[in-house]
Amino acid sequence: MIEVMNLVKGFPKKDGSTYYAVNDVSFEARDGEIVCLLGVNGAGKTTTMRILSTVFKPISGTARIQGWDIVKDPQKVRENLGFLSGDTGLYNRLRPREFITYFGRLYGLEQRQINQRIDEMADLLDMKDFMDKKIDLLSSGMKQKVSIVRSIIHDPPVMIFDEPTSGLDILTARNIVSFIRSCKERGKCVLFSTHIMREAERLADRIVMIHKGQLLANGTLDDLRAESGASDLDDVFVFYVNRQNQDMELKHNEF
Amino acid sequence: MSFRNIITVYRKELLEMLRDKRTLFTTILLPIILYPLIFVGFSSLMSRQSVKLEEKGATIAIADSVNNDTSRELIKGLEGIEFFKYLPYNAASEQLFAEKEIQAIVSITDSLGEDQLRSYKIGVRFDKSDEQGQMLIGKINRSINDSEKKVVEQELRRSGLNPNLLNMVRIAEFDVSTAQKKLGTILGMILPYLLIILLLSGASVVAADLVAGEKERRTLETLLVSSAQRTEIVVGKYLTIITIAMVNVLVNLVSLFFSAKYMASQSGLETAGVSLPLNSFLILFLALIPLATLFAAILLSISTFSRNMKEARSYEQPLLTVSMLLAMISFFPAFEFNNLMALIPIINISLLFKAVMIGDFQISHLLITIGSTLVLDVLAIWATIKLFNSEGVLFRTEDDSSIKSIRSNKRSFFNPYNGLVFFVIALVLLFYLGGSMQKQDLAKGLVQTQILLIALPVLLTLRLLKQNSKEVLRLKAPRLKEIILVPFMAIPAAILVSLLSQLIDHFFPFPSEYLEQLGRLFQMKMPLWQQFLVIAVAPGICEELMFRGFFPRFFEGKSKSTTVWITALLFAAFHLDPFRFVPVFFLGLLLGYLTIRSGSIYNSMLSHTINNGLALVLVSFADKPWMKYLSSGGDALRIWLAIPALIIFSGALYLFHRVSKTEENS
Ligand SMILES: Nc1ncnc2c1ncn2[C@@H]1O[C@H](COP(=O)(O)OP(=O)(O)OP(=O)(O)O)[C@@H](O)[C@H]1O
Ligand SMILES: [Mg+2]
Repeated sequence: MIEVMNLVKGFPKKDGSTYYAVNDVSFEARDGEIVCLLGVNGAGKTTTMRILSTVFKPISGTARIQGWDIVKDPQKVRENLGFLSGDTGLYNRLRPREFITYFGRLYGLEQRQINQRIDEMADLLDMKDFMDKKIDLLSSGMKQKVSIVRSIIHDPPVMIFDEPTSGLDILTARNIVSFIRSCKERGKCVLFSTHIMREAERLADRIVMIHKGQLLANGTLDDLRAESGASDLDDVFVFYVNRQNQDMELKHNEF
Repeated sequence: MSFRNIITVYRKELLEMLRDKRTLFTTILLPIILYPLIFVGFSSLMSRQSVKLEEKGATIAIADSVNNDTSRELIKGLEGIEFFKYLPYNAASEQLFAEKEIQAIVSITDSLGEDQLRSYKIGVRFDKSDEQGQMLIGKINRSINDSEKKVVEQELRRSGLNPNLLNMVRIAEFDVSTAQKKLGTILGMILPYLLIILLLSGASVVAADLVAGEKERRTLETLLVSSAQRTEIVVGKYLTIITIAMVNVLVNLVSLFFSAKYMASQSGLETAGVSLPLNSFLILFLALIPLATLFAAILLSISTFSRNMKEARSYEQPLLTVSMLLAMISFFPAFEFNNLMALIPIINISLLFKAVMIGDFQISHLLITIGSTLVLDVLAIWATIKLFNSEGVLFRTEDDSSIKSIRSNKRSFFNPYNGLVFFVIALVLLFYLGGSMQKQDLAKGLVQTQILLIALPVLLTLRLLKQNSKEVLRLKAPRLKEIILVPFMAIPAAILVSLLSQLIDHFFPFPSEYLEQLGRLFQMKMPLWQQFLVIAVAPGICEELMFRGFFPRFFEGKSKSTTVWITALLFAAFHLDPFRFVPVFFLGLLLGYLTIRSGSIYNSMLSHTINNGLALVLVSFADKPWMKYLSSGGDALRIWLAIPALIIFSGALYLFHRVSKTEENS
C-alpha cells in the first residue's frame, strides 16, 4: 500500500529561486493493484519515486509505504520496498549472483533464503545462463533483470519500478511485464512509471498522470476515457494536458 | 547499527577492490618489484659512479709565485695524487678554467708576518657545486696537510727542536654511536616520510573509488535504497580504506625490509654486526594505524562530497601536499618532540617514528599522539556520516559544485567567498604592515594597526560600495538594560578565559620568548590612561567594527549561531597566535553573540574593552596588597575565581538573552 499526500519537492535553481519538480501530488496504490505513473520527460515521475524510496526528502507533504512514514521511518520504508530506477546501477566488478547476494544480506536474509530466492527468480525471468558472468559483460536487458531481482530479493510488499522496460527489446520487455503481473497476482502493490502509453494500457489497473510536477488525472483507464471522450490513451493524455494549460491560462487571466 | 551489515559492506568492497586491477597493481605488485629495483639499481649505480669519478681525476693549473724549497715540496706532494694532472699557470689558464677544461687553479703565495716568519697561502679556486670539485678539494686538502707536516718537521729539526712537538696535542675520537644507531638515525629520517606518503597515496586511490566512484557509476542510489543504514555503509567503507592502506604499507615495509637487508649483506654492513631493526619496523606499523584511520575518515568525507572520481582526486590534492610538507619534519634534525608537537597530526607521527627508530621515545608523547589523532578521527567520521545523510551532497548536480556556486552567487557583495577573500587580505596586511609598524614604537604601532589596517579598510569598503555603514555595522544604540548587563558578562568571561589560558599553559607551556613578547605590551612607558586607550579602547572599537560589524554580514544566511561561530573562528585566527587561539575563540563567541543577538555593536565594543582593560589592571596593580586575594603572582588568577565567575556570567547571560529579545529573534 502506497499513500502519497500532497508531496512537494523543489531543487534550487542557479538564480537562487526554487524549481518545483513535484508540486502537490497525491494518490494511492493499494495491495494487489498495479498503478502507472504516466508523464512526459521531465514530468517529475522519477523525482516522485525517489522521494518514496527515501533518498530524497520532500519539502512538504509526505507519503506512507505499508503504513510507514517516509520521513519519520525511512528505515522501515526501505525494508518494505523494492525500488528500481535508471539510477540504481549495478556493480560491474561483481557477478549477478554476488551482487544479488550482497543486497540480500543487507536486507538481513540468510544465505539459504537468498539462494532459494535467486533460483526462483532466475527461473521466472529466464536468467540462468548469465548468473555467473561478470556484470560488466551483460547486455542491458540482462542487467535490467539482475536489477529487478536485486530490488525484490527481500520479497517486499511494495514495489516501485521507474521505467522498468526502457531500452529493452520486445521479448525482454514482455518478460518483465508478465513478471510485474505475477507480482500483482501475489497481492503485491506495484507502482511503475512509463511514458509509453501502450504499456500503461496493458498493465495498469489505475493511471496517475502527472505533468510539470502536477497531478493531471487519477483513475482507471475506463474512467479517464469516459471523462475525456477519447479512446486512444495518447488522446486522453493530450486532453488532460490541454485542460491543465487552459486552467493555467484562466488563472493567469484573472490577474 | 548492525555489525553484520558493516561486515557485509566491508567484504563486498574488499572483493571489488581485489577485482580492480589498478588497485591491485598499485597497492601490492608495485611495491614488491619497486624496492628491489631501486636498491639494487641504485647501489650498483652509486659504486660505479664513485669509481669513475676517482679515475677521472682532475687537471689543475699551478701558479707558484714563491718558488722556493717549501713551495716545491708542496707541489711535489700535490703531484703525488693519483689521476691528477698539472699544468703551469699561464695566460690561457683562466679561459680553460672557465671552459672547465681545467677544474682548479692553485696559487701559492707567501708573506712575512710580524715576527719575521714566512707563511704560505695556497689558494684553490674550484667549483664546489660540481662533484669533481668536491672530490678534488678533499684530495688537495689531505695532500697539503701531509706536506705541511713534513715541512714544519724539517723546520723544527733545523732549529734544533724536537719534531714531536708537532704532536703535542692530539684528538682521539671514540665514537660511541654504534653502527646500529647510525642506521636508526638514517632510517628515522627517511622512513616516516616514506610511510606517511605511502599510506596516504594508497588510501586515496581506494577512497576516491568508494563513494565518488559509486556516484560516477551510478550505484550509490542502489545502495541507499537498500535497508542498510547510512552509518553502516560509512563504517564498512571506512574499514575498507584502512585495510587496504595498511596492506599497502605492510607490503611496502616487507619489500623495503628485504631489499635493504639484501643491500646491507651485499655491502658487508650485515657482517659488521648491523642488523635492520625488525621490532622497530613492527612498532612503526602499529603506530601507523591511528594515522590510517584519520586519513581514511578524511578521505572518505572528501570522496562523499565529490561528484566524481576526478573531482575527488583534485580535492585530495591539497591534503596530499600539506601532509607531505608536514611529514618532512623528520628530515630536520633536532626538532624537539614535545606535548604541543604531539597534538599536531602527521607531525606527531613523523616525530614519533623518528624517536622509535633512534630508540628513545616517551610514552606520554605516544599517548597524546594516538589520543589527538583519534579525536580528529571521530570528528571526520562524524562529518562523513553527516554528509552521507545530506541529499544535497549525495546528489550534487553539475552546476552546483559548492565552491563555484559560492563564487557565482553574486547577488550581493556580502557572500562567504568575498568574506574569506577580505579576511585573507586583512590577515596579510596585518602580518606584514602591522609587524613593521609595531617594530619601532609599540604603542603607536598598535594604534596605527587598529585604525589603519582594521577599521579604515572596513569603513572605506562600505563607503565605496555605497552601503549604509550605520545599518551594516549595527551602529545602533543598545538598550539601557543591555549595556548595564554587559560588564557582568565581560568581567567573569575575562576571568574564565584567563583561567583557560592558564590551563593551556599548564599542559603546553608557552615558550619564554613568547611571554616576553606579550609582557612588552604591558611595559609601555606611559600613563595608565594612555595604556588603556592603546590596549583596551582601540581594539574594542576597531576590531569590533571588523569582526562584529563587518564580517558577520558575509556569513549570514544559514543561522545566527553559524554566523557567530564562523566569525569567532576568524577572530581567533586573526590573532596569529596558536597559544591564544582557543581563549580568543571563546571571547569571539561571546562578542559575536552580544552584537548579533542585540543588534547593537556597542554591546560587544564595551565587552571587548572591559576584557582587554582587565588584563591591563591585573598587570598594573599586581603589586598592590589586595591583589593577593585574586592572583597568585603575575597575571595568574586564583582558581576559585572560576566559581563566582561562572555563576555571575550565567546569570547575566540569561538576563541579557531575555532583555535582548526582539520580534525578529523571539
Ligand atoms: N537532483 C536534481 N537537481 C535538480 N533538478 C533535478 C534533480 N532531479 C530532477 N530534477 C529536475 O526535476 C524535473 C523532473 O525530473 P524527473 O527526473 O522527475 O522527470 P521524469 O518524469 O522522471 O522524466 P523522464 O521521463 O525523462 O525520466 C526535471 O526538470 C529535472 O531537471
Ligand atoms: Mg525519469
